[in-house]
Amino acid sequence: MKLKKLSSMVLVAAIALTGVACGKSGDETQAPAAKSAGFKQYADIVLGEDFTDLEAEISFFNNRTDLDSEDYGGTTWKEYIEEFNKMYPNIKVNVITDTNYAEDAKTHLQSGDYETVMLIPAIDKADLSSYFESYGTLDVMNQQINYADHWEYKGEVYGVPSTATCQGIVYNKRVFEEAGVTEIPTTPDAFIEALQKIKDHDSSIIPLYTNYAAGWTMGCWDDYTGISATGDEAFTNNTLLHSTDPFKDYGDGTHPYAVYKILYDAVAKGLTEEDYSTTDWEGCKGMINRGEIGCMVLGSWAYPQMEAAGENAADIGYMPFPITVDGKQYALAGPDYCYGVNKNAPEDEKQAGMVFVKWMTEKSGFAYNEDGLPIVAGSTETKLQFDTVTLLQETPAVAGEEDLLNQLNAESELNYRAGGDRRIQLIIEHAAMGDMTLDEIVAEWNAAWTAAQDACGAERN
Amino acid sequence: MKWHKTRKGQQAIVIVCFVTVPLLLLMLFTYIPFGQMVQYSFFKMNYLTPPDKREFVGFKNYIDVFTRDDCFKALKLSAYYCVGALFQLALALFLATILSFKVKGGNVFKGMMFFPYLISGIAIGFIFKFFYTRGFVFDSILQMIGFDLENLPYWLKDQRVNNWSLVATSVWRYFGQNMVLFIGAIMSVDAELYEAASLDGANKLQQFRHIILPSIKTIVTLNVILSITGSLSAFEPPYVITGGGNGTGTYFVIMNEIAHVTQKVGLASAMAVVLLIIIFVCTILQKAFFKYVFRDADSTDESYSAKKARKSRMRLGRKESGR
Repeated sequence: MKLKKLSSMVLVAAIALTGVACGKSGDETQAPAAKSAGFKQYADIVLGEDFTDLEAEISFFNNRTDLDSEDYGGTTWKEYIEEFNKMYPNIKVNVITDTNYAEDAKTHLQSGDYETVMLIPAIDKADLSSYFESYGTLDVMNQQINYADHWEYKGEVYGVPSTATCQGIVYNKRVFEEAGVTEIPTTPDAFIEALQKIKDHDSSIIPLYTNYAAGWTMGCWDDYTGISATGDEAFTNNTLLHSTDPFKDYGDGTHPYAVYKILYDAVAKGLTEEDYSTTDWEGCKGMINRGEIGCMVLGSWAYPQMEAAGENAADIGYMPFPITVDGKQYALAGPDYCYGVNKNAPEDEKQAGMVFVKWMTEKSGFAYNEDGLPIVAGSTETKLQFDTVTLLQETPAVAGEEDLLNQLNAESELNYRAGGDRRIQLIIEHAAMGDMTLDEIVAEWNAAWTAAQDACGAERN
Repeated sequence: MKWHKTRKGQQAIVIVCFVTVPLLLLMLFTYIPFGQMVQYSFFKMNYLTPPDKREFVGFKNYIDVFTRDDCFKALKLSAYYCVGALFQLALALFLATILSFKVKGGNVFKGMMFFPYLISGIAIGFIFKFFYTRGFVFDSILQMIGFDLENLPYWLKDQRVNNWSLVATSVWRYFGQNMVLFIGAIMSVDAELYEAASLDGANKLQQFRHIILPSIKTIVTLNVILSITGSLSAFEPPYVITGGGNGTGTYFVIMNEIAHVTQKVGLASAMAVVLLIIIFVCTILQKAFFKYVFRDADSTDESYSAKKARKSRMRLGRKESGR
């Protein structure tokens, strides 16, 4: 083993040396010129015209093991690749999937021997350029795709999103219609009323399934308290940190309080499952598909899973969170995993990889098929009924406060948007037992938050 | 003569050589990490805080453990598990006594009752999650024997019963193991003693009280101490079945939450140290208690023997077989 390692290292060193020697011996100014002649970046590639005779074998590493399976409800990897090969018959794509993607992808990167195209795992932006080929400058890429700045570093774009998700509520259209809910509710009161209608219509249907027992599904509720509840892009990373009593009742059906109030009221009025302590995450998918559940508060990533869980895919719908701020609805939208092209691959493979990424984005319909938001700039192709909703992305923390949210979370133990599952579970428990009102609960949180702000030196305004 | 060539010298060298390895492992994997944990408990830090940025806070973490209402409230839940442990031992001892005499299909029963101990705690958690779900296994069985679903509680939701539900899973899992240990101990009792006792007209209960129980007192003591300690650090049932929700968060579950979600590593370490001290104290108290109880039993035995020659002969027989 050791000998092998050593010999391979020597080999790598030798290759690197010869590479350097070649670069030195050649005319240095010509190297980039030669590259621009043969190699085309993302924006310059015209699909179906350029490189149609390119011969290469590339590998594509991703997390969607379900698309490997023949009985996947939607389009499988095999079908995507067959379609791709109609346009590019000589580029062979080997798809590799992994259930433990987030961890394994990083291992692949560290080993130096990684796939031609892969979904960029959580790495530091500063390391992007050593692993991945740039698709082009931010200005150019902004014309091509949405969310170009997600994996941007020093003006270069290294990631193209595979799809994008947003925050709303997955629901069963048929259940809502049969109960006489014809308009999608846009305020907390209307939403609770709709749930009540479902319950009155057929008491065997669970209007809102909480998924209490799974835990992480509870923490998801926090995700709606920022953009959905306030329309403020900076809420989580800035506004919240400096607000006095951010969880208080604003009295107008907005802000975090309104989100938690929906949950509290739904439980207190018996509009959720009878026994929250034994909810079943895997089971709930089939239940909503069969119409035994009215709706669940989950990100749009859950939408295709609910569709695929049974025969009634057409019944499943996705609606915005029922909060209206000054007459407008907002939702948090963000890219899912992004494609990155291996910088250290041979030139023709790199080119083939880039062609493949552009094809996946523009021709494959992947984002549409997976119920995502459009990636191609200017496209409106999506199954999500979010036309009336303003989609926003969160702004990062201001310089010097990158860690402040984490510190406040640890100090206050509220763990806001950081695994605070227990806190949301307690809302359900107190609502079910009726021993604490929501105002009493949030008063405790506000006190903890204020104490944490004082302890961490966060200014309040 | 050189010392290392003498018998004594050789002996010493061999001993040192053999002892070094396990001691090193023990130091490396037990005492050094433990020392580190004790050290952490005096700092305010999370997992990723670099060593130079950790803030020394003295005994603040320990004061917090005693003043926060969630830490010690959680320890109260251990009372449920202690009661469960005692019930579990009684049940195990009862069944072990029956099964160590000739019973039809005894080995099958032993196997069946020991079986739960072999299943992983996580799997047991999932089994019981469904077992207790409204209208599932447990409710159906109770309905079959005439209970009305309306009158049955929600086993995991109702805070009056949910801790007992969890304790029951723990009893179900461990009583088989206790039982097997007891059977092993009872097997080592000389069978002639029972014969002699029954000739003397002792009934089964008397045999148990005067022959079996004194013979296996060491193993009983051990089991009680282990069970009580175990119930102070109950973790798996609440963690897997309820996730510590609904008032079932034991000390360990709360500690886990504080360490891994909130990332107050210092506070969690302090909680661990406090628990360790509590366990020490409990163990010492139990030791003292058993010393007292069994000494008493022995002395009454002796006073009986003074009165009745037969009993004294029996005791002698037991002592001989014990040695």
